[in-house]
Amino acid sequence: MVPVNHTYALSSWTPAVFSFLAFIFAVFLMLAVLMILTGFLGEKRVNENKLRPYESGIIPTGSVPLRYPVPFFLVAVFFLIFDVEGAFIFSWAVAVEALGVKAMVQMTFFIFVLLMGLVYIWFKGGLALKEGKDKRAERR
Amino acid sequence: MSRAVDSVINWARATSLWPMYFGLSCCFVEEITAWTPRYDIARFGAEVLRLSPRQADLLIVSGTVFKKVAPVVLRLYEQMAEPKWVISMGSCANTGGMYDVYSVVQGVNQILPVDVYIPGCPPRPEAVLHGLTRLQEKIQSGERPSGKVFHMSGGSHGTVAPVLVDGETKTRDTRGPGMNGISVRGSSVTPPDFHGTRAQFMWTPPAAQITLSPVENEVKSQLVRRFGDAVAPAEKSADMLTVDVDQSRAAEVLQFLKFGSSPRFLRLEDYTAVDQSARQNPEHYPDFTLVYHLLAFDPAVRVRIRAPLYGRYPETQSIHDLWQNAAWYEREIYDMFGIRFSGHPDLRRLLMPEGWQGHPLRKSYNGRATDMPAYTAEDARNLQPRAGEQFYRVDEHGESYVLNIGPHHTGTHGIIRYIAKMDGETITGLDMDIGYHHRGAEKIGERQHWIQYIPYTDRVDYLVGAANEFPYVLAVEKIAGIRVPERAEYIRVLFAELSRIANHMAYMGITANDVGALTPNFYAFRDREMIMDIVEMISGGRLHPAFFRPGGVAADLPEGWKEPVEAFLRVFPKRLGEYEKITLKNPIFRARTVDVGLMEKHDAVDLGVTGPNLRSTGVNWDLRKNMPYSVYDSLDFDVPTDTISDCWTRFRLRAEECRQSVRIIRQVIDQMPGGRYISEDYRYVVPQRQDMLKDIESLIHHFVNVTRGPKIPSGEAYAATENPRGEQGYYIVSDGLGFAYRVRIRGSSFTNVQAFPKICKGATIADFIAIIGAHDYTPADIDR
Repeated sequence: MVPVNHTYALSSWTPAVFSFLAFIFAVFLMLAVLMILTGFLGEKRVNENKLRPYESGIIPTGSVPLRYPVPFFLVAVFFLIFDVEGAFIFSWAVAVEALGVKAMVQMTFFIFVLLMGLVYIWFKGGLALKEGKDKRAERR
Repeated sequence: MSRAVDSVINWARATSLWPMYFGLSCCFVEEITAWTPRYDIARFGAEVLRLSPRQADLLIVSGTVFKKVAPVVLRLYEQMAEPKWVISMGSCANTGGMYDVYSVVQGVNQILPVDVYIPGCPPRPEAVLHGLTRLQEKIQSGERPSGKVFHMSGGSHGTVAPVLVDGETKTRDTRGPGMNGISVRGSSVTPPDFHGTRAQFMWTPPAAQITLSPVENEVKSQLVRRFGDAVAPAEKSADMLTVDVDQSRAAEVLQFLKFGSSPRFLRLEDYTAVDQSARQNPEHYPDFTLVYHLLAFDPAVRVRIRAPLYGRYPETQSIHDLWQNAAWYEREIYDMFGIRFSGHPDLRRLLMPEGWQGHPLRKSYNGRATDMPAYTAEDARNLQPRAGEQFYRVDEHGESYVLNIGPHHTGTHGIIRYIAKMDGETITGLDMDIGYHHRGAEKIGERQHWIQYIPYTDRVDYLVGAANEFPYVLAVEKIAGIRVPERAEYIRVLFAELSRIANHMAYMGITANDVGALTPNFYAFRDREMIMDIVEMISGGRLHPAFFRPGGVAADLPEGWKEPVEAFLRVFPKRLGEYEKITLKNPIFRARTVDVGLMEKHDAVDLGVTGPNLRSTGVNWDLRKNMPYSVYDSLDFDVPTDTISDCWTRFRLRAEECRQSVRIIRQVIDQMPGGRYISEDYRYVVPQRQDMLKDIESLIHHFVNVTRGPKIPSGEAYAATENPRGEQGYYIVSDGLGFAYRVRIRGSSFTNVQAFPKICKGATIADFIAIIGAHDYTPADIDR
């Protein structure tokens, strides 16, 4: 890894592979210790009812794996698309001064295209879980 | 060392209690009142009440546990995180209390261990907070958690109290725990049975009799012309045209009344049965009688059809194809009386659990839970509610699935269970299961005397208190022909309208809460508390005043009653405007409610939907205007209606109704007449106290009417009032004794909620919560 030398952009922190790995290791260690401790210290009384999913106090019907309807997938896919947009915009925002006007224009175009996509999906009714709900007449 | 650790753990646990409610009754209303900022439950570390057992370490059982819902309570308890504590709240949660009846578990401590009891019926919000404080003290002083948590032997945390065992640690003596050593009736030292009432040796004038109106006479002659000998109009009636119909022709007569007669009786107002086997002179009666009450809107007139049934388990023709709401009525009659209906598509129990033995409203059925085998945790494990797949077949390929919403769901408020067939987020089919809150109020009416029964009517729809008593006392007054002084009438109207505002405040707050807004809840309950204070100041009772009496009210208005009412009227209209602003003008609230849950006018009429829900479909029907009772015809107010019946309209109409109630209360204050507060006819009423202390005649009547109840002449009457939730009616049959022969309660929610399968089809889950919230957020009177 190449150290970041632009003192004007960021702090003088120098990333290094070793310390990064040590940090990850420390996090996992802490998580493990916490989980083992709570598992060991806490009292457990497992019974059939406790292991059951909670459904308003009634014994649930059917199994959990079921075929998800299309609208659920659509919403998930749209979310992914617009979430990736965030990754680009944030990284650009960090270096906005260094990258200059050209990147600014490119980014604006990028956002504009995505926005058009959003508007298109919106008008197509892709964001409505239920068909026709967003086309409700505003009567009052 | 472990001492110090204990106190640290205890301190942490006691100051961050996470309560989950299991609320079914009046107690629950007081519990959610404790949740509002006025009482501030946040000091216990609980900003909100947890709704899932996984998140909670404290279960507050607020109110009665019923045999049908006990398995659900037990499951919640078993699913809670460790350690877990239990608070039992209300007199009926602890011992069955005033509800010693077939459907009630005799104390939650028969199935669950309990830490703290909060007595009272219902306990005040302050009592809830005190109970929580007691639990904190108990945790901090009594628990030794470190032994348990460090895998050491010993130590204790959570509830450890043993459940009560019938016959060993629990007495089921109805005389109370103090009577343990005294032998029960029928032993060598006590007489074998009660002498019971001596009412049958008393003389009273016959029941009141009305002269039929021209419209009623016209209907009568139409029926006689058409059906000849098959119909026999009763000669005497205390309230409306009554026609006895041959059982085989009953469906035909009803069809004629709905489609052919003039006026057309469009609504099946009420439909029930009477078991005639315990009459004083049974030779005059059949084995059972089916009773239909029909209503015509224009002109406003009711008719009662009675059809006799013979045999031990009679069968008759179903009329579910004439009126949609007859389907539930017939299921209820089957459940309660064992009468079968041929042609009914789905004849199974409605209120009692599947597999229940016997039919509770038969006279031969013993009504007291203390006379039945004890209900134990074992029973709760075995008698589970019907599984969802028995309502809808589960799709093998996983295309659609069945979802249980309720009874323990924040949107259903503990009373109904909805079984929804889902396709993704969309509801494709909806079925309902009720009876989780069945208090046996009708059976209790057959054993408590006429005046003792009033507190039970209060609790039928526990949110509106005094308004419940209104139709009951009206029905009793109709049979006996009791005249009510004008002052008492005005006091009753004052109570009824205060109840209406109180109900609508709870409605507005919690409906907004159901669709995601917490703030209106806190504000609306502030005003509800002002009303509670007024009601308490006048009657002594907070939620359930039990203030009405046949013939008047229990006491005169106290000195200075006007000031708090006027103070309320001064601030309320302005605040109502604020509530409208934060709900009806809120774009999110509008998006959740506008055009959601549309209901058609003809469906609403056919299903017997009443109250603001009916008026939202464009039917201008309000009993206070159309069939005036009490002094409503001398008061000036409007009935708000609308034509597009969606959730938003239903909400808006209720806000407008509050405004009209304010108008009525203003007039009541200005016009309050002087004079007596209870009828002069001391034969039937509890005399004024001053008279009772002065003269012997009043003292005698006071003694008789308070102890064994007044003798109400033999007869029957139906009376309905416009309650906040809709029309609530009481059909009362008297056999000339000190208590009713049969009390039938027409709960407004019972018909209102039957519209849900129609209006919820195609809605999403989120819409569904808005629909049931805006329709009627707690259908308290559905199970009676």
